[in-house]
Amino acid sequence: MKRRAFVSKLALAATSAFAGVPREEGHTLIHVFLRGGADTLNVWVPFADDRYYRLRPGLAVGRAEAIAVSDRYALHPAMVGLEAAYKEGRLGAVQSVGVDNTSGSHFECQDQMEHGDSMLGTPAGGGWLGRFLRLNGGDEVSALSAVALGTVLPESLRGAPAVSVLERIDDIAIRGAKGEDAAKVMGALKAMYGAEVTLLGRRGGETLDLFQRVAALQGKGEAPEHGAVYPKDRFGEGLREVARLIKARVGLRVACVDLDGWDTHFFQGNASGQQAERIRILSEGLAALDLDLKGMRGSYTAMVTTEFGRRVSENASLGTDHGRGFALMALGDRVKGGQVLGGWPIQVEEEVNVNTPGPGGLHAETDYRRVFAEVLRGCFPGAEVGRVFPGVELRSVGLI
Amino acid sequence: MRTFNRREVLRAAVLGAGGLVSCDRVVTGMNREVFGEGVPERLVLPEGEGVDAAFHLLSRAGFGPWPRDVERVKKMGCEAWLEEQLVPEGIDDTACDWRAERFESVYFSAGEAYEFRKPVLRDELTRHALLRAIYSKRQLFEVMVEFWTDHLNIDLEKGDCVYLKPSDDREVIRKHALGNFYELIRASATSPAMLVYLDGKSNQVRRGTEDKPNENYARELLELHTLGVHGGYTQADVLEAARCLSGWTFDRNRFWAMDAGEAFFKADWHDEGTKRVLGVVIPKGGGERDLDRLVEIVCGHASTARFVAMKLCKRFVSVEPPEGLVEAVAGAFTRTRGDIKAMLRVVFGSEAFAASGGQLLKRPFKFMVSAMRALAADTQAEKAVLEPLQRMGQGLFQYPTPDGYPDEELPWMGTLMWRWNFGLAMAAGKQGGVRVELGRLRRAMGGEAGARGWFRYLAGRVPTEAELAAVTGESDAQTVGLVLASPAFQRC
Repeated sequence: MKRRAFVSKLALAATSAFAGVPREEGHTLIHVFLRGGADTLNVWVPFADDRYYRLRPGLAVGRAEAIAVSDRYALHPAMVGLEAAYKEGRLGAVQSVGVDNTSGSHFECQDQMEHGDSMLGTPAGGGWLGRFLRLNGGDEVSALSAVALGTVLPESLRGAPAVSVLERIDDIAIRGAKGEDAAKVMGALKAMYGAEVTLLGRRGGETLDLFQRVAALQGKGEAPEHGAVYPKDRFGEGLREVARLIKARVGLRVACVDLDGWDTHFFQGNASGQQAERIRILSEGLAALDLDLKGMRGSYTAMVTTEFGRRVSENASLGTDHGRGFALMALGDRVKGGQVLGGWPIQVEEEVNVNTPGPGGLHAETDYRRVFAEVLRGCFPGAEVGRVFPGVELRSVGLI
Repeated sequence: MRTFNRREVLRAAVLGAGGLVSCDRVVTGMNREVFGEGVPERLVLPEGEGVDAAFHLLSRAGFGPWPRDVERVKKMGCEAWLEEQLVPEGIDDTACDWRAERFESVYFSAGEAYEFRKPVLRDELTRHALLRAIYSKRQLFEVMVEFWTDHLNIDLEKGDCVYLKPSDDREVIRKHALGNFYELIRASATSPAMLVYLDGKSNQVRRGTEDKPNENYARELLELHTLGVHGGYTQADVLEAARCLSGWTFDRNRFWAMDAGEAFFKADWHDEGTKRVLGVVIPKGGGERDLDRLVEIVCGHASTARFVAMKLCKRFVSVEPPEGLVEAVAGAFTRTRGDIKAMLRVVFGSEAFAASGGQLLKRPFKFMVSAMRALAADTQAEKAVLEPLQRMGQGLFQYPTPDGYPDEELPWMGTLMWRWNFGLAMAAGKQGGVRVELGRLRRAMGGEAGARGWFRYLAGRVPTEAELAAVTGESDAQTVGLVLASPAFQRC
């Protein structure tokens, strides 16, 4: 019958369509978004720059407390968990990354960044990760090739061929059935899809395998490995679930995890305080993930971004206001870590004035899309990335 | 189609201001009692080994049967039903209106939509579309709305599209869904949403400058909306078409203009020279009439008839439709100068259609809607119901590129897990935001209730021995869940 012939043609097409991103690679991009505009100057402390101490009399992280990692930069003390990764050359950062949006609006900047757009350019449609997944073997997706940890679909994944929003892996289960019931349902599905000699039958069978792999994971392996301890909050729990999915080899390509609470206009704190607590959760979370996945560190890259950085000068309520550029960091075996890229001295728009569009802060020296594109290429060699950011000159940054 | 002005909508809102929460229940009650939205006393179950003809027609020319539909189509005959569906304005749709018309942003003009916040616009447009598909008695109309929404795809996330798509949905897609193809394309060409989505609004060739036209819309007009990529046009035709279109724009900042929400023609942005599109010369000085000439030329091209016919056949008959059928449908297009109804008569009246029962894969939207219709579901299309659709990969109005959600099978194969879970959970009463009527349906099946009866009712045919064994569950809920998760229910 004709239909059969067509189906097998499609199956062949599937194999070649997937050439862009080979599944065997099994690499996962973990996209961490710090919502609220993180003050990365207090994460990657430019301790060698006197302006930092001059403009932040109350908020600067003192030289004695910061963990010096080069002759220019030191890590916030709460970043201690990631110090080793930096020294091993697996954690790195790019200073002064940013969007060209000058509105200073959380919403606009997040929106633009997640859609991979710029203020002046033409939007390309959908989210940048959604576009990426659509363009690269979008046909050969699994139910778990893109996952957002939480309850909301992030804009970055909009337009993806399949995206699952989950809080826990345990959400992936036959709903409305437990124990024997679940076994009965699985058995019935296996029988029905197994009897189909079509694409539908084959993919149904693969989906059942996926279920079983996840189910096995749900039974055991709940405890993180190598003594990793995730912070007890949504971010930590989200990363723990990501690690479990990576271990289960379910075809996870992109995972999005948010960490909010970075809009520190008031009483931000310095080596300790409000922001230090967020930094601690960030670094402990990533460190736990890195330890948990110690046996398979080549299989993931984590990229940490935020919508904009903050001003260099502190404000009258011991906080910082919205700025422009920020330090973007990445963790993983493929990262050219142990360095903070970007110009030195850091270019600063210290004052807001009529000649400087935007709210001041660090100069947005590197278009964030160059870094995103580089991370995609690093994670998925050979993938189509140019069309994810059409019309953007994607010169190498040197982070991956 | 009824259209609404703002005052009517506001008046309706005042009248309905008895508190929306209690209102939902009243609407359901009213609809069930007065408008026949409920479950009938007796169900007639299909009994052949192949998919029942009435069931088949309802599954393709609609989103699948509502409990009483199969019997009704059997009584009146497939042809009569199709003719009824081809005149949607003749079908009373009050029950559906009760549910769908509360989303006021959907009924506002493009200019007024800017008064709403983005999440509200997204939410209302999406819920409106889902509710219409589930509850409308104008099923063929809704199916064609979905078809043209893909054909003239617009992604809400691009630029200002979220503000402009509601009026595009109303004034382009719904207005012409069963109308004339030429008029549909003409309306789309000057739809603010399309002008933004495909950059037509910046297509300017100012006099005395070196301006090059923006070709984005012109290219997609030829490649995706009319002739098709191998339709025989050249790159020069794209450029010439873009020159014809230059000057048509949209500007949300014309706040005080009476027609602030509409596209307008900016004469000094228009390339006034002579153009030549697909071999036809458009003399200079045509101004805004160039657009009308262009629409005539591209819609009247033989490739367009074929391209549209092929797409209709793929959507409604087979992923590989027989050549004879495509030709017949294209012939109807040419003969009637783009009458959509004439094409649909050929499609649904064909032997190839009659022989194609159960051979197409339902896309996630149809899967969900057909499951909810079959079980006489009560829903307000809230987030809990939309979320699974997102997981299945067909979030409405979210397809990023202009070609629209695909008809091929492969792109939908990665998310079967979420289909199964939706079916199983909904049948078990555990899917948030939706309630189904298993008890009443079981009673209406009478002595035929049971796994075999459920399968016949939901899949439109008798199960094989193996299918029957697999779907026979411990309870009605499990059986129904298994049928909804079965390969048979993924097809139509």
